[in-house]
Formats: sequence, structure tokens, C-alpha cells
Amino acid sequence: MLKIENLHAEIDGKPILKGLTLSVNAGEVHAIMGPNGAGKSTLGYVLGGRPGYEVTQGSISFDGENLLDMEPHERAAAGVFLGFQYPVEIPGVSNVQFLRESLNAQRATRGEAPLSGAEFLKVARAQADALGLDHDMLKRPVNVGFSGGEKKRNEMVQMGIIDPKFAILDETDSGLDIDALRIVGDGINRIMRQPTKAVLLITHYQRLLDYVRPDVVHVLADGRIVRTGGPELAHELEREGYGQVAA
Amino acid sequence: MSVLELPSVREESWRWSDPEAIAAAAAMPWSDAPVDAAAYFLDLPGARIVVRDGVVDQAASDLHRVTLGHVEAAEHALGRRTAGPGWVLDLAEDGAAHPVQIVHVSTGGSNHFAGAIRLADDATAQVVETYVGAGWANRGLSVTLGKAARLMRAVRLIQAGGFTSLREDATLGQGASLVTSFLGAGAAGTRIDATIVAGEGAFAEYGGALLTAGEQRQECAVAVRHAEPNGQSHQLWRAVAADRSTASLAARVEVARHAQKTDGEQSLRGLLLKRTATVNLKPELEIFADDVKCAHGATVGELDARALFYMQSRGIPRARAQALLTRAFVADALDRIGNAVVREAFAADADAWLAAAL
Repeated sequence: MLKIENLHAEIDGKPILKGLTLSVNAGEVHAIMGPNGAGKSTLGYVLGGRPGYEVTQGSISFDGENLLDMEPHERAAAGVFLGFQYPVEIPGVSNVQFLRESLNAQRATRGEAPLSGAEFLKVARAQADALGLDHDMLKRPVNVGFSGGEKKRNEMVQMGIIDPKFAILDETDSGLDIDALRIVGDGINRIMRQPTKAVLLITHYQRLLDYVRPDVVHVLADGRIVRTGGPELAHELEREGYGQVAA
Repeated sequence: MSVLELPSVREESWRWSDPEAIAAAAAMPWSDAPVDAAAYFLDLPGARIVVRDGVVDQAASDLHRVTLGHVEAAEHALGRRTAGPGWVLDLAEDGAAHPVQIVHVSTGGSNHFAGAIRLADDATAQVVETYVGAGWANRGLSVTLGKAARLMRAVRLIQAGGFTSLREDATLGQGASLVTSFLGAGAAGTRIDATIVAGEGAFAEYGGALLTAGEQRQECAVAVRHAEPNGQSHQLWRAVAADRSTASLAARVEVARHAQKTDGEQSLRGLLLKRTATVNLKPELEIFADDVKCAHGATVGELDARALFYMQSRGIPRARAQALLTRAFVADALDRIGNAVVREAFAADADAWLAAAL
């Protein structure tokens, strides 16, 4: 589904990714772990197409298409979802309006008919219920005044509504207490654990991986994948630290 | 003095004015293209008045409670030119009128016209004005509100070209309330010039959104004078400037020595859609009383790049994301319009402007 080859990327002329190669098949959950500054979030932003993150070498193909040729909104319409480590607050735009615009913009890009207000609300409420997000929060401005945990849950509600093919979840576990972690983990499994979908979980810690069992674990250090293994690799990292494993 | 006998731009309150644009508008050729004034009336009961090139088109108008007569104008460089025949809404004590709608159509050259609103104690009125066409439309308005009288005004400036200049003088009696909201979403140059004198316990809300594009220049120069204690005023303005345009907001609060317990708020915010655009903000406070609360804020910025990318990453194309964020920015000013029909019409004009500008 996703094929990254020899990816080099920089921010303000500073190289961050230095030859990253990674391949994710449909039906798989991959975890990317690594120390601070290894380039984990940069990988997420490059996949999402954030301005300022310049790819200098290498390729990314998604379902056989060149992802780097697409605008960020086209990547979303193609099925790529980026869950943010720090979801952005948008005063003056309600969550409901934002999500409906998002979903219908994607449908329009794909040549599908828009959902009506009533159809949309039904989907939105069902996803909010599944993730324990109060319906009132759907009416509030996007992420404004939300706690850290609420913002992350809101990301998962968005993912549930948009129903992407491929999700890149950047530190979705940070800021979550134990109960919220389980709810979010269940949400990821429910929405994304399907033979036609795939997930790239970017995380520091093993704890989210107790709920969302990865098929493959990669260690990212200094802009490259330095080790790849099964779920046991995450435990080894937790035990021994990145210093040992990435060396 | 320029050819139009306007004060020099070296005078502080005229520093961002655009006399050349007024002169150019006044020299615009007359156009025969029909303008369907009726299309700009909103679905509200009450008076519907068409003012065509500064003259009431009686055949196209339903005056309702409005009368026509001579209206004096205040001594002001632009305002004084409007003295002469004008419209008057005069309500007796406890009087209430259906909304008054006025559509000002200009077809070229210059036109001057005055209005007066006089509400006796406890009277209530609503006035909605729309400016369309091209040329120089110059208007003077005097507002006198008796004790506890209430006036709600909304003004849409959507001329396709030329210039619209407004001079307003308002005097608010004890406990009176004046709420005025402007939307500048046309292609004409604009100057909104006003002085509001608030009596004891009076409430004045005066603000709006100016959206500029191309080479356009829009500005307001407004002063609220609290002459008596316990007054409250809010001047909330939002300016959005695209391309090489300029939006300028000068808002002033004056609190007289014995106007204790005055509560004044000024919120001036500018948004630059392009780095070639200009927003000038000038909040001014002149306070002689010692027990007052006067909050003021002035900021100019660009759209939040993080928010833009966040929206794009959810599938919203960049231009639409910019429009949503810009719309949210001006919402503070437009959401204050109390009448839902008027509010929605203004919002639709703002949306149309955004769709064209982005």
C-alpha cells in the first residue's frame, strides 16, 4: 500500500530524514519507535505534505501513485489520514462544520455526492459515542478548550468519520491517561484493523502497543530505519532503551 | 485642501483617507446599465426605499413611516455636502417601526444625500442600508436617541466601483442604545467617519468588517465620546486585506472628566491575506475620568499556517480552508447583528467576497 524508498527530507536546509526505506502492506500495523529528534514526526508531516518539509531525494508511492505529486487535500482524498501529535485549535469553526467540510471535500475530490447534514450528524454522533466524546464537543470550535486527551479522542472521532485507508498516527498516545488510552486503542483497532487498511503508529512508548498490536516494529534513529522486527522488538526497546538497540 | 476641499492627509484623522479615489469616483461616467435595486431588499416588513443617485425614487419606494424633507448636516468636510433634501425617521415616545430598508444606487458621478433618525424616549427602530452601483455616494446621517431609545443599524457597502463615504453623528440619551454594524465587501473605496456622544448609562456598539482586495482602500475613523457616567461602548472592527489593498481602522474613545464608571472596549484586528496588502490600526484612548474600564486590543496577522495544513490534511482544499479561517475571523464582527435575516444576508456577502478573493 505504502512504499517509501531512500527518502531524504529537510527543514530549512537541515537534513532530517537521511535515506529512509519502508514498506507497509494492506492489513498491517507498523510501529515506528525512536528517540527524540530521530525524525519520526518529520516522516508523518512529509507523508501528509506539510509545507516547509522538503523532499530532496527518494520516492513515496501510495497504492501505486506518486504521493509527492499530490496536494495535501488530494492525499487525504486518496485515503491518507494524519493524526496529529498536537491537534490544532481553530477558533470560530465548529467541529461539526469542519468535519462535514472535510468529509464532503474528500467525497467531492473523489467524485462522490456530498452527505446531507442529517446523514453526516448520524455518522458523527456514532463515532463520538464510540470514543466517549460528548456530543456537545462536536458543536464547539475545533479543539478550542479541549484537554490534551479530548484533542486526541477528537482526532480518532475524525478518523472514524473520514474512514481512511491508511492512517499515520503521530504520538496519539501522548497526553492520554490509562482509560483514555484503552478507548483510543480500541478505536484504532475498530476503525483501522481491516484487511484493506493499514496503520503507521509513531510512538515513543510501548504502552499503546499493548492495545494496538503491531505486526512490524521499526526503530528510527538519525533519519533512517536502523532495525526492523516483530512486536517483541518494542519490548526489547522498553527494557533496554534506544541507546542499546539503535546502536 | 485638495480639489474636493478635503482636509490634507497630513491631518491625523485623514491620514489614511484617499482623496484621489473620491475624485476619480466623482469623475466616473454615468452608466445606463440598469441596476435592480429591489433585488437588494431583504425579506423584512416595513419601509423599502430606493435612493437613486441621491434622489428618492418614489415610484420604487414604500416610505412607510419615513418622511422626506430638508435635513441639516453637521459641519464636516464630507458631511456638510449632504445638507438638503433627505430622509427622516421620526418616532414619538414608545414608538416602534418595522425595519427601514434603504438601497442606495449610484450610476456614476457624485451624489450627496442626508438622513436623520430621531427616536423619542423608549422608541425602537431598525435600519438596514445597502450601497450598490458605482460613482461617489456621499451620505450624512444624524441620529438622536431619547432616553432608553434603541436603534439597530446595519450597513452593507457593496458598490462595484467608485467610492462610498459616510459621515454619522449620533447623540445618545440616558440609557439609550445604538448598535451599528458595517460590512465593506464591495470593490469601491470606503470612508466611514463617525462621532457618537453617549449620555449617562448609554450603550454604543459600533463596528464591523472591512474586506478589501485589488488596489482598494477602505477605512473608518470613528470616535465615541462618553460625556456622562456609566456608559458602555464596544468598537469591534475586523479588517481583511488581500492583494495590494489597504484597510485602515482608527477608533477612538474619549471619556470626559465626570464620566465615571465608563466601560469601553476596542478590539481592532487585521488579517493580511497577502504580504503585499496593508492593514493600519489605530486604537486611541483619551481618558479624563479616573474610575473607568477601557480595554483595547489591536493585532495584525496572517492566517495560521498550522491550522491551514491541519484542514488540508483532512481533505479541505487550500482556498476553501483559507476561506473558512477568514470567515471565522470576521464572524466576531458580523455575528453581533441581532436580526437573523440581516445577519445571514451579510454573511452571504462576506462569503461571496471570500469566494472571489481567494
